Amino acid sequence: MKTWIRRRSIAASAVAVAGVALAGSQALAQTATIAVGAPVTSLDPHYHQLSPNNAVADTIFDKLVNTDAQSRNVPGLATEWRAVEPTVWEFRLRPNVRFHNGNAFTAEDVAFTLQRLPNVPNSPSSFAVYSRPITRVEIVDPLTIRLHTAQPYPLMPLDMTNVRILDKETAENATTEDFNALRAAAGTGPYRAVAHRNGDRIEFERWDGYWGDRAPFQRVNYRMITNDAARTAALLAGDVDLIDQVPTSDLARLRSDNRVRISETVGLRLIFLGLDFQRAANENSPFITDNDGRPLGRNPLRDVRVRRALSMAIDRRAIVDRVMEGAAVPANQFLPQGVFGFVADLPAPAYDPDGAKRLLAEAGYPNGFRIQLNGPNDRYINDARIVQAIGQMWTRIGVRTAVEAQPWTTFVGRAGRQDYSAFLIGWGSNPDGSHPLRNIMATFNSERGWGASNRGRYSNPQVDDLLAQSLTELDEAKRERQVVDAMRIAMQDVGVVPLHIQTNIWASRRNFEHTARNDELTRAQDLRPAAR
Amino acid sequence: MSQAVMDGAAPAAPRKDKVETPFRRFVSEFAESKIALGGLIVFTIIALVAIFAPWLAPQNPYDLAQLDIMDGRMEPGTVGGAGFTYWLGTDDQGRDMLSGIMYGLRISLSVGAGSALIACMVGATLGLLAAYAGGRTDTVIMRLVDLQLSFPSILVALMILAFLGKGVMNVVIALVIVEWAYYARTVRGTALVERRREYIEAAQCLALPTHRILFRHLLPNCLPPLIVVATMQVARAIALEATLSFLGLGVPITEPSLGLLIANGYEYMLSGKYWISFYPGIALLVTIVSINLVGDQLRDVLNPRLKK
Repeated sequence: MKTWIRRRSIAASAVAVAGVALAGSQALAQTATIAVGAPVTSLDPHYHQLSPNNAVADTIFDKLVNTDAQSRNVPGLATEWRAVEPTVWEFRLRPNVRFHNGNAFTAEDVAFTLQRLPNVPNSPSSFAVYSRPITRVEIVDPLTIRLHTAQPYPLMPLDMTNVRILDKETAENATTEDFNALRAAAGTGPYRAVAHRNGDRIEFERWDGYWGDRAPFQRVNYRMITNDAARTAALLAGDVDLIDQVPTSDLARLRSDNRVRISETVGLRLIFLGLDFQRAANENSPFITDNDGRPLGRNPLRDVRVRRALSMAIDRRAIVDRVMEGAAVPANQFLPQGVFGFVADLPAPAYDPDGAKRLLAEAGYPNGFRIQLNGPNDRYINDARIVQAIGQMWTRIGVRTAVEAQPWTTFVGRAGRQDYSAFLIGWGSNPDGSHPLRNIMATFNSERGWGASNRGRYSNPQVDDLLAQSLTELDEAKRERQVVDAMRIAMQDVGVVPLHIQTNIWASRRNFEHTARNDELTRAQDLRPAAR
Repeated sequence: MSQAVMDGAAPAAPRKDKVETPFRRFVSEFAESKIALGGLIVFTIIALVAIFAPWLAPQNPYDLAQLDIMDGRMEPGTVGGAGFTYWLGTDDQGRDMLSGIMYGLRISLSVGAGSALIACMVGATLGLLAAYAGGRTDTVIMRLVDLQLSFPSILVALMILAFLGKGVMNVVIALVIVEWAYYARTVRGTALVERRREYIEAAQCLALPTHRILFRHLLPNCLPPLIVVATMQVARAIALEATLSFLGLGVPITEPSLGLLIANGYEYMLSGKYWISFYPGIALLVTIVSINLVGDQLRDVLNPRLKK
């Protein structure tokens, strides 16, 4: 009797277990959990220009012009756009689009969004730059809008890929706090946010009224796990289905793990060395001395031969293979192949220590000099390791290099005050050559807004002229030629020393598939169940 | 009676009561513990290796020109590009781990011993002063000690380094600030007892200057417990320096100490490249254990209460 009861209870529990397992596998298809490495600071899409924020904003909202995984423009809330006059851009809007609260999308919403951009209080990095060129917004009909500018402005579609469109009725008078509390976070995107705990997690639900392809998951949990090892461990334990910013030291192991699938693509972030152009040729650069530690009396970095020598001394292949474990490609310019403004005829970066020594001797430094190379230790992938590796390579051609790596906040402040002679830094470009040109290679000019991140203070009037022409050129072919010419000059001049372009890497569980994006954004809609 | 005779005689008299024959007796008592003797031998070897590292190490791990990134993360026993064998493997920069450990020991030992010495001088002086002067001086110094000891030392050291910035000298300063309180409290305790002894009264009657009484009469009689604390604190200082370097606040990245070597390899642990962290960790462990063994036995030998 007793045995019988026990047997029956075992049978019952077996059924129960099977039931749970079944429910589990169904839930698996319905729910996905993503863990990202960098915290999202706000759900207000116009508060902070930051990749993690933009990724979440792209999940909830749409832009007039969306971008595909390779950052090419694709129709978003606008189905087509063109410059009807040199200073007028016309956008045709997508019909029958509804916001998460049911409101219809019209040109009014676009006009409202553009007007809000400069009016977000306490914004750490404002989106106002995208509405500044617009002098007047003209609503032609509910599905046609015209943006007037003072001068011809070729970058308008690119700018619009950064502006997430809000619902006027919901977001009028809404504060950033209202977005964080989800009261105002109604967009047109594939998922809507249903819960948000700041800096910890966001929960999304599928928006069934989405105008595009239906999102694959009913529910997506979006967690922030900033510790690299913890993120990897969470994936391996099956707690999460997708992680971003896979640490390169775990890469080899994850690649060989058959429970895991890696998705990767060459990104848009160049790691490069900035050099001191602030000091004139006959001035001392702060961290350069002769071999005995005495001031040199001149700034060797103003000599293009010295800059070329420093660039040639670097074995980029070794850095990519050994330090980055293959998660980067050696670079000779800011953008990877295939992006608007890529200079096809620049020679591949050569590693030639003997040639570098000869160039140094030619420039009057047969015995080299001493330099300190600075860099961050918590900002870019393996940043402190890269500066040490470059220290080795420069020391070998006679430029005895001391290395110092500091936390980013200390480092970037000093780099911005031109305190360093040579420093490692990175730049994530928009997919258009004019973006790094304007921010890094153009002569520093705060009124024009040029050279905002030109921390070495490189300056070349030829580059500036070509850039100025390109910024009002509406003929795309002509504009690309100008951008390419400007970039070629700046790179031949070694205005910066490009090192490598990082690869963006995600890792997912085997039963999920993720589309890698070159803009680093980790978006819920890029994850779907793997095809069987 | 001349002053000179008094000076010489006074410290010797009470010591005779505690340790009957000075040095030889001390040595034989110390050697009673074979473990402690072993610790002493191991520590001596470690110290010699550290001192003679530039002649013993196959590579100068602080000279960037001698490192090759292509030799990075090689397994123990691999022959590198420079022609010699990396018996303990290499780290991510191609630094020979054996050389790195030898040089790292130099930093660890000199920082540990240096900071312990300075902290000992500062702490002992303040402790003597507190015990001898009493009253308000005592209160102020001892409350400062209490305040200092109520914070975890790693927290205090982190705050100081955040303020001073990186560098070996700054680590020493931070360690001194963290550690002086232990010496001060130990010395004050002993000195409080000693100052009521007759020889101090005698010295006071002779109107000797205070500094002379403090350092020539009181201090020598407080030495035994001070030596014990100092040995233990050297080990603690080495561990603390390793912790600070592990957290990236100590030595420069191109001149790693043991803590930074461990930190460098930490990220590769999951990938199976154990040797980058493992061997410096062993070196650190052996060093600290050997010092502690010596310290333990010193305490047993020098502590009169344990002897009865």
